[in-house]
Amino acid sequence: METVWDLFRRRGYSRREFLSFVSVTASLLALPANLLMSFGRALELREKPVVIWLEFQDCAGCSESFIRSTSVMPSDVLLDFISLEYHETLMVPSGIYAEQAKEDAIKKYRGRYILIVEGALTPAEDGVYCTVGGKANHHLLREAIDGAKWIVAVGSCACWGGIPAAYPNPTGAVPISDLVEGKTVVHLPGCPPIGDVLVATLVHLIAFERLPELDSMGRPKVFYGQTIHDRCYRRSFYSAGKFASGLDDDGARKGYCLYKVGCKGPITRNACATIRWNGGLSFPIQSGHPCFGCSEPNFWDRGFIYKPLSAMPDGFGPKGMLGALAVGTLVGAGVAYMNKKQAKKGGK
Amino acid sequence: MTDILLYDLIRGHLLKLSVYAFFIGIAYRFFRVLFLGLPPDYAPPKGKPILKAIEKVLLKPSQAWRFFLEVFAHRGIQYVGGFLFHLGFLGLTFFVPQHAFLWGDILGFEPPYLPQVVADILAYSALGSLFALTVHRIFNPVLRLLTGKDEYLANFLIGLVLFSGLLATRWAGGAYYLWMLNVHMLSACVLILYIPFSRLSHFVYYFMSVFFYGRNVGKRGVSF
Repeated sequence: METVWDLFRRRGYSRREFLSFVSVTASLLALPANLLMSFGRALELREKPVVIWLEFQDCAGCSESFIRSTSVMPSDVLLDFISLEYHETLMVPSGIYAEQAKEDAIKKYRGRYILIVEGALTPAEDGVYCTVGGKANHHLLREAIDGAKWIVAVGSCACWGGIPAAYPNPTGAVPISDLVEGKTVVHLPGCPPIGDVLVATLVHLIAFERLPELDSMGRPKVFYGQTIHDRCYRRSFYSAGKFASGLDDDGARKGYCLYKVGCKGPITRNACATIRWNGGLSFPIQSGHPCFGCSEPNFWDRGFIYKPLSAMPDGFGPKGMLGALAVGTLVGAGVAYMNKKQAKKGGK
Repeated sequence: MTDILLYDLIRGHLLKLSVYAFFIGIAYRFFRVLFLGLPPDYAPPKGKPILKAIEKVLLKPSQAWRFFLEVFAHRGIQYVGGFLFHLGFLGLTFFVPQHAFLWGDILGFEPPYLPQVVADILAYSALGSLFALTVHRIFNPVLRLLTGKDEYLANFLIGLVLFSGLLATRWAGGAYYLWMLNVHMLSACVLILYIPFSRLSHFVYYFMSVFFYGRNVGKRGVSF
């Protein structure tokens, strides 16, 4: 099977362009300069990865994001960069032949393939809420787990349950890690995650043959080690106490901090503020919308999107305050009345 | 439990519970005392109780006119420290942007908010003076006798809220920020729960008690 360098050569790219790709990916992974040469050498020699991509309860946005990765040429990602043996959404027209190809790949590349899972799992009621080719999703995942060399959960649905698991979670959606035992699942959350993050993680797996450094929730530290707030270009406004009060008010036009209109950047760990989207063009905050924290667990249940992070998710309001004061008043008056009555009794 | 799930628990249920408990507790204490009432006082007032009460409410909080007297009467730590601490802590409680948004959610109107640099100055001064006041309390023989566990617990809780808040604000970056925020919010929730059941409740009843004190002073016809 061809290597990544072979692939570049076949596509007519020069060595300079290959080295440029190596440098970009190495910097995405924040590799130290002394590893650059061995990293490039590994990409020259190692075979491109075999990937089986399963898709369960989701919107296919993660696949969309991946094929729009900009660190590798978009059209090359699926066709060349990886040996994509199976992708549920992309192979839909092939029907049972696609399913056959997957089963063959699981046997042929046993212990060598990277299993990428997109979407939440619904083992409830024997997986009736999500079936592919007549098979329940959790059976499909079980079939593929054993032979996988690495397992990568792509997107918040696969990592944490995401929107399918949001309240009231009618299908009983769970993250895929609930079904995986004895293997580490690399979590790349986001709704969707940045395509380049997946590409860089795959390149890391190919080049170093080991997992990148992960945090306690299984996310590569290099991409999820800092909050959006840490790297946000609007942070100076946050520090200066200048906040937009609406999405189109004067403050918003001046580019003030979006904390007051619900930005979840301070608690969201992702690389949006550094890598950005669409080839580094922009990211939600830069486009004038608050971050809604899509890469953290339960993001959809974290209250109204446009509410400041410091306010209570489902509100309190003057009514709540007056209600609590009324309860306190009644209890205080009641206890005072009892005390007086008791004192009178004692006096008698 | 992961940091973000703990954060959700604190920000959601725990904060709400503590704010409810705060308002219920505050109203309970006030109205219980009010309805218990005081024994009737038939003595005619020697001064002007209401005027004196208003005068105390207006002048006592700042005590600015006593500055030189107090400082040179060897009560500098208590006077300056107490002033800086109260200014800092109350300023931070109500006028830091994040807190102002929370108050806006609770009260229905939003207090004005401070730039971060002013909030930082208030936090440093409040934290420094709290430390000085606590040390003074430990080593001053008279204050030591007057101090109970309540004061030490209150000082510890307030110190933790201030320190973790300052640290979270000045955090240079990294994933531990959420833990810092969790410590800050959790200690604040405990403090909010603790206020109605401790002497810290003077923060709510201050003006009422000063009014009552002024009225008594006016009744007796003395200056304090």
